[in-house]
Amino acid sequence: MPAPNGMAVFATMLPTTLLVVLAALGGLLGWRRPGLPPSFHRWLGALALVGAASAALVALRGVALSTNGVGLAAYAGGVVADRFSIYAVLLLCGTGLLAILTSGAAEERLGSRLPAYHALILTATAGGTILAVQVEMGMLVVGLGMVVISLVGIVAMEKTAEAPGVAAFRSLVSAGIALALMLYGLAIVYGATGSTDLAAVRGQFLHSAPLEGLGLALTLLGLAYLVGAPPLHHWMLQVASASSAAVAGTVVSLAVAAGGIALVRVTVSGFSATMVLAGVLGAAACLYPALLSVVAGSVRRLIGLGACLQGGLVISALVGSGRGSDLKPAGGVIAVLFGLVVFVLAIQASFQAVARMEEDGIGGDLAGLRGLARRSPMAAVLLSLGLAGLAGLPPLAGFLVRILVASSAVDGGYAWVAVAGVAASAIYAVVVLRWIGAAYVEDEELPVVLPRTPRLASVVGLACALFGVVAMLLAGPLLYAADGAASVLR
Amino acid sequence: MNFLAQTSSTATTSGVTFPTLVLTAMVWSAVIFALVALLMPNQTQDQLRRMKSLGSTGAGAALFFAIWAVETQVSEAAAGTGGIPGGDLLEEHNWLSSFPITSSYHLDVDGMALSVILVVSVVFFCAALAAWRNQRHVKLLTVCLLTLETASLGILASYDWVLFLLFWTLAIAPVYVLARAFGHGHRARVATRYAATSLVSAGLLLLAAVLIAFQSGAHSFDMSTTPVSLPGDGEAVAFWLITAASLLAMAVVPLHGALLDLEEDSTGVLSAIFAAVLPSLGAYTLVHVAVGFFPGTSGSFSLFFAVLAVVTVVWGGLAALRTDDLRRLIGHVGTVFMGLVLLGVAGHTTIAITGIMFLLLARGLVIGVLMLLASLIQERTRRVHISQLGGLAWQAPFLSAFWLLATLAAAGVPLLAVFAGDFFILTGSFPAHRWASTVVLAGTLLASGVLVWTSQRIFLGASRDTFERVRDLGPLELTYLGILVGLIVLIGVVPGHFAEVFQNGAGYILFPGAA
Repeated sequence: MPAPNGMAVFATMLPTTLLVVLAALGGLLGWRRPGLPPSFHRWLGALALVGAASAALVALRGVALSTNGVGLAAYAGGVVADRFSIYAVLLLCGTGLLAILTSGAAEERLGSRLPAYHALILTATAGGTILAVQVEMGMLVVGLGMVVISLVGIVAMEKTAEAPGVAAFRSLVSAGIALALMLYGLAIVYGATGSTDLAAVRGQFLHSAPLEGLGLALTLLGLAYLVGAPPLHHWMLQVASASSAAVAGTVVSLAVAAGGIALVRVTVSGFSATMVLAGVLGAAACLYPALLSVVAGSVRRLIGLGACLQGGLVISALVGSGRGSDLKPAGGVIAVLFGLVVFVLAIQASFQAVARMEEDGIGGDLAGLRGLARRSPMAAVLLSLGLAGLAGLPPLAGFLVRILVASSAVDGGYAWVAVAGVAASAIYAVVVLRWIGAAYVEDEELPVVLPRTPRLASVVGLACALFGVVAMLLAGPLLYAADGAASVLR
Repeated sequence: MNFLAQTSSTATTSGVTFPTLVLTAMVWSAVIFALVALLMPNQTQDQLRRMKSLGSTGAGAALFFAIWAVETQVSEAAAGTGGIPGGDLLEEHNWLSSFPITSSYHLDVDGMALSVILVVSVVFFCAALAAWRNQRHVKLLTVCLLTLETASLGILASYDWVLFLLFWTLAIAPVYVLARAFGHGHRARVATRYAATSLVSAGLLLLAAVLIAFQSGAHSFDMSTTPVSLPGDGEAVAFWLITAASLLAMAVVPLHGALLDLEEDSTGVLSAIFAAVLPSLGAYTLVHVAVGFFPGTSGSFSLFFAVLAVVTVVWGGLAALRTDDLRRLIGHVGTVFMGLVLLGVAGHTTIAITGIMFLLLARGLVIGVLMLLASLIQERTRRVHISQLGGLAWQAPFLSAFWLLATLAAAGVPLLAVFAGDFFILTGSFPAHRWASTVVLAGTLLASGVLVWTSQRIFLGASRDTFERVRDLGPLELTYLGILVGLIVLIGVVPGHFAEVFQNGAGYILFPGAA
């Protein structure tokens, strides 16, 4: 491990520091100067996220100059700045930026708590960046705790309404269970291996005993909470159903992004012995929400289940993160990194469609959706592109992600995981077609409504939706970036 | 080499190389028009007319490039390269190289693809013309039809698994939306059932593609290297995955329910497309991919295909005899044709595969005409059941004439399109499967007999007062039906125009090394 130096500390922790400092500043200003306009906080948050992303890009220069070919390490090797962490920080900052830019849709409901909402988005992103740079159990717990507490806080911002309050409480309980599971798991792993360093742990797990296996399983379950994998998926459905659309989009997309990053870092860097477990969990996490979607009664729940399905695909892809056929590295990590970009944007687009529908006074059940294309064309376009992205229907990039995930799983020797992922995607796609069909073909005599959704949120939502098509066309460069990021984990 | 062939080939002028874009233009032109239609207003009658013009022009553009591609291959047939991939129409550009399995934008065609490309583009063009009468959901119809055409042509021109799967799955959403918007009866259930079936077939194809990419050791989604050799049971597993997906799409017995319901519960233009195009795509996949990738494996299972052919043809013929619904009857006749395709696969000879190509070309045209005519009859008489019809020849002589011609073509009468396909398939399959060929021939005759009998029931007999005000075909209907029927006659009279291309294509499928 290279010796810590100033450049390494700067490179690894600058994005996190920037985000935390500006979150504190934003919160302080919101408290001391309540008269500041919401747009001020929005642009302050955006500035923080762009700054953090820029810092990550600066670190990329340092990584390129590093002599060990991997990256820069700091704090006794607890955190590293490598291509993976930079990719992850950029993804998280992008996700946070989308959340900030679409916060206008929740402005009315959040009221004076808007500055705190923005500050929590920044701290959640900062937690995610810690998950991206950590390679040590202590930092993993810190990062995960920061993300989880911030996300629960974001949901709780809408405490004045009953349903979001309940959702926040349930999220808190689920988060507590997840953190406890992960802590127990890490404690067992530490007890078995005597090390908190993930790379060291990896080296000692070649002949894992049952107790060590339990430790790995508990850790994986705790981490899978963030991507909405069963059995800890209820919080995501609750948030998707109860919170306002902007808040739900923020929480779910940040959770999936941070959870995906953490899962990659932990399973690939340290817990490669958990692949069978990841396979079982991934298959279950794909099939269960897909089956539940058949009886989904509202579009919000459908989106929530779609987000859980994306989480299942992330876990499924990880089984293909080791050696593949011909002893070449399988493409699981590349699939996850490419997929996370696509998933985050599809989730945001879907929730923006819901926000638009709510603003236009359109119900979110199947009956309410009838004739949506005529009543609110923008909402219909957003919803169909968002849901199609979640379902992996072409020409959206979610389709390509399915192919990459299935390929990785088969290459890793887990063809049954690929079958489960494909089957789940097909089931979910049929359900999505039913909902999209209702929006476009059912005649509805209700009058056409004029949109009232804030312009910025709509534009961002539409951009997210259209990115699905763009990502398909630009899959080559995006996969090149993902490959560069994944290469350091091999 | 004629003019078309010269212009399609990669041309070099003063050191500048111009890429061939005929197949790209053929595949994407329709969806480009669909995108334009999507952005156009559709409130006034003028705007609706513009939208319909756009639909027809988009389909026409795709037809233009399809004919260009076909004629390029026909002109190369004399040199022995027409009908074989890797010719002047080849387009290949790197797409995904940063993943353990590489993928490229690879378009190409062989004889098998050309036969279906021609019928798909013609049927879509005629359907776009036929859709001029429609006044409901005009934008939706235009956009979905053009998207479906791009998806269909894309399937036929793809030589990369990712592209192939993309187009295969892209076809599902437009079919679902169209069936749900323009269907009747249990349209939502029927559309959902078909979408579920198609997604299952897409999933099977995806698994097969991944299996082939890894087990072949190529680590590539490229589809141009045939035959594929996989270790252990991999070859059989991949073959059966592709075959199962193809059979689902072909709607052969006992997997025919979803497509038949779709055809029955859709309106005229759509049922013509669904019946003429969708099963052909399945048949193309079976022959081009399953047999083409694994000629040895498919040959060893020829008995399975022979039995399935017999079951499909006999079932289809008997079901046609029993049904009273005009559109369902045509659907059953289409199933009988698919039984013939299966017999051709069982025959596993160059002549039988050539016959399949002729049959798919002819079948699409004949079934398309019959479905369009059936919808015109139902639209004019407001009757769905055959038993409620009769004596229409008095009011609609042109309609009757077109129907009779299509019926005779379906029956395999010489000098009409289907004859060549029937003849080659039966000739090519008879030596290997004598009993199956005999039974299939009998089943085909039964279906033809039912069609002729139906013609008699619908058009002959005394004129009925209830149908006194039934209109004959108008100029628009005469135009698009004339195109289809003209092609049926033309292919029947000069099948030799395509014979060499198809024969080369068949040789490439069965003996790729030799080609």
